Amino acid sequence: MPNLNINGRNMSVEAANDTPLLWVIREQLQMTGTKFGCGAGLCGACTVHLNGEAVRSCQTSLADAVGKKITTIEGLSAKGEHPLQKAWVAEQVPQCGYCQSGQIMQAAALLSKNTNPTKEEVVAHMDGNLCRCMTYSRIQKAIMRAASDMRTASATGSERRAT
Amino acid sequence: MNKHVKDLAPETTDLSRRSFLVGTAATGLVLGYAASGIDHALAAPASANVEPSVWYSIAPDGLVTVTCGKADMGQHVASTMAQIVAEELGANWKDMRVQLASNDPKFNDPVLGAQITGGSWSTMMNFDAMSRAGAAGRIALTEAAAASMGVPASELVVRASTISHPKSKKSMSFAEVVKSGKATKTFTADDLKAIKLKSADQYTMIGVSVPQLDIPLKVNGTAKYGIDVMLPGMVYGALVTPPVRYGATVKSVDDSAAKKVPGFIKAVTLDDKTTTTTGWVVAVANTYANAKKAAAALKIDYDGGPNAKLSSESLFAEAKRLQGLSDSGEFFVKDGDPNAAFGTAAKVLEAEYTTNINIHAPMEPMNATAEFKGDILHIYSGNQFATRSGAIAAGAAGIDPKFVVMHQMWLGGGFGRRLDADMMVPAVQAAKAVGKPVKVIYTRENDMTMDFSRPLTYQKVKAGVDGDGKLVALSHDVVSAWPTQRWGIPDFLSPSVDKKGPLDAFTVNGSDFFYTVPNHYVRAIKNEMAHNATPSGQLRSVAPGWTFWAVESMVDEIAHATGKDPAQLRVELLDGKGKNDGGAQRLRNTLLAAMGLAGYGTRKLPKGEGMGVACVSSQERATASWTACVAHVAVAPSGEVTVKKLTVATDVGTQVNPDGIRAQVEGAALWGMSLALFEKATLKDGGIEQTNFDSYTPLRMSQLPEVAVNVIANGEKATGVGEPAVTVVAPAIGNAVFNAVGARVRGLPITAEAVKAAMKA
Repeated sequence: MPNLNINGRNMSVEAANDTPLLWVIREQLQMTGTKFGCGAGLCGACTVHLNGEAVRSCQTSLADAVGKKITTIEGLSAKGEHPLQKAWVAEQVPQCGYCQSGQIMQAAALLSKNTNPTKEEVVAHMDGNLCRCMTYSRIQKAIMRAASDMRTASATGSERRAT
Repeated sequence: MNKHVKDLAPETTDLSRRSFLVGTAATGLVLGYAASGIDHALAAPASANVEPSVWYSIAPDGLVTVTCGKADMGQHVASTMAQIVAEELGANWKDMRVQLASNDPKFNDPVLGAQITGGSWSTMMNFDAMSRAGAAGRIALTEAAAASMGVPASELVVRASTISHPKSKKSMSFAEVVKSGKATKTFTADDLKAIKLKSADQYTMIGVSVPQLDIPLKVNGTAKYGIDVMLPGMVYGALVTPPVRYGATVKSVDDSAAKKVPGFIKAVTLDDKTTTTTGWVVAVANTYANAKKAAAALKIDYDGGPNAKLSSESLFAEAKRLQGLSDSGEFFVKDGDPNAAFGTAAKVLEAEYTTNINIHAPMEPMNATAEFKGDILHIYSGNQFATRSGAIAAGAAGIDPKFVVMHQMWLGGGFGRRLDADMMVPAVQAAKAVGKPVKVIYTRENDMTMDFSRPLTYQKVKAGVDGDGKLVALSHDVVSAWPTQRWGIPDFLSPSVDKKGPLDAFTVNGSDFFYTVPNHYVRAIKNEMAHNATPSGQLRSVAPGWTFWAVESMVDEIAHATGKDPAQLRVELLDGKGKNDGGAQRLRNTLLAAMGLAGYGTRKLPKGEGMGVACVSSQERATASWTACVAHVAVAPSGEVTVKKLTVATDVGTQVNPDGIRAQVEGAALWGMSLALFEKATLKDGGIEQTNFDSYTPLRMSQLPEVAVNVIANGEKATGVGEPAVTVVAPAIGNAVFNAVGARVRGLPITAEAVKAAMKA
């Protein structure tokens, strides 16, 4: 039985190697925050992290995920308090909300490498994630807010360390 | 005028004959209208076994849970209902909770008499009932608190879930009053009606952008949508749908290869007596991945049926043929005599406007989970029309609808798609066939090719202008499939003006606009061929999505033909005479607001850029909001259109949650832009050609224009906001393209090829 490292826990699953990671996460592990949208890598609703990179879990086989660190929306932060999640609430981003796990995971991969993205970098990074409610402008604002909060937190943290 | 709205207007609802109950149950305080048919005042319920229809409850810990009978598909309507209750109840927002109602008729819309969510109706039709429910709760709590404190109720102040007596400085929380068990009171219909609701200047909640109650669940993955339902022993169904949208039949199913797929249980060919689906097969297996593998392995032989050769071209050709017949269709509007007026008009303009098939494509693909438990069929699915969808599920199961319980979930997008009930049929019949709960999930390909789409439409508009440039006559023929007639519910059809029989007003709404035109007719013509080949549905904003495209483009064409500014012509037509008094003035003011915000006509734009205006009401005249848009576009020599800015103004009377309204209006405007420029589906050989987001391409972030939204709240009654901004954008963009480069495009979507061709013409 393959073992998956997901949200910091090791879990064994029972599925064929070619099973899309999406369905293993949703059905076997019953973590339903990761969503099915298109099954073809065209909408981003199923985005999770593999070793910190945003990937489409509908296009990732179980075999490809074995031995890697998988993070889903449920594991992005222990209490749902990742700066992006807080910013998503502050900007009141979601409407139907269905795409938002994928949007947040996609954005988190960007901010983990770059906490000072330009608007163009945000658009280029996020363009593969569809939102049918068209909440795009709030998504942009929330990413910028989270980035700013992360920069502030990191500056404060450095100061503390310096003193 | 629409029968379904006129007959069900608030004055005539039987809510006014019901009693309102406040009682103590085991779970705390329950408050709600008594079930329909109980016309007399009931004795105050004193024990847990009294079950009035529950609109909200207050638990002993002081938490107020509002049960929302409306489908929440991202418009945050549950939160809005809670906000209206909280205003009159005097509850603290942090104490408010929401839950979604089952299909129990006690949760029916108080005005519509059914559980249906659409039409931008919810807030306007529930505002009064929810306000009175909140106020009744406050009165009951206050009287109980007065008794406990030994002070007159009239001296008490209710604020933030606390009832206080300023003179004695005594106070009780809602929780303490509920625990006292003294808050029991029955309001007769007359008592309820007599409650004096707050005036706008007393509001502390209405008009405040409180955080939407559903949002926290939607940023941490815990919100449960239909697709997330997990039942013990549940198995999965994957659909195989035929190459023809409607009318195909299954001749044979060979499951020999599917049987080799591990976990495969059964292939179920649907026997759909509700006629919602044709030729569908469900492959059932232990996991969805295996169900999909098995579905792919099934070898199915079809008879394509009567629509197998049809295409978008043949549907358009049929529409033109029908429009050309003098006795086609039925009259929706008939004022004066346009044909006579055309004879004496100084100038007559004539144009054809078209829209293609559009697909809802909410991000959550259609799905439903069905479980038979004893006599009861349980359905888990996010749905906009529990009343009808429950009946379809019952029809698929061959049981009485009263044995169906619909468990409402958060909707991963609705936009009208989830008014339909097709997903119930495979789930129910698969569950019945395998004797286990079954969750059926559509692939995106199933979802797109089997959409109950916005119908393809063909409209012919003829306008007559007199010697002074005044619009004196307009004839308007609208040819389309009739989506609402398909529901088979007579109440949703409207009598025609010429008494030829009921017509589907959801194909012509909006054409009964607020402009003053002395001679005006609108014919609703059913395209039977399209109706049968492409069973259509209601897509966000419904008919005004195409009728305003035609009307607002034609008004622009008239302006240019008579040498008038298009915005100025609209102001003249909105003179508020006769039946348009009131509405026309509000629309005029909204248009002027949008013009002012956009800087319309105040500066010269660079070459290739232009501004266009449009102004619209809502689905029905009786449910109107007032919305105007100025679109600013740049058109490249290739014909490619870039939207630089959309400025939208909307008069909603009273805003419950201003930030929520802005979110809805912005989303609606971007939907309008997406339909105007990017979304097109086509029929070929009887099937929808687009299967996923590579060929059907809604707007993405990189295509986002600047959007400026201005909400006008002038103290009139609260109206709806989910839809109107969809309809105003396409004509505003089309008119802007003409203003920029002189190219008139009359078909949606507006493609670069069409613009370039019109530039040359």
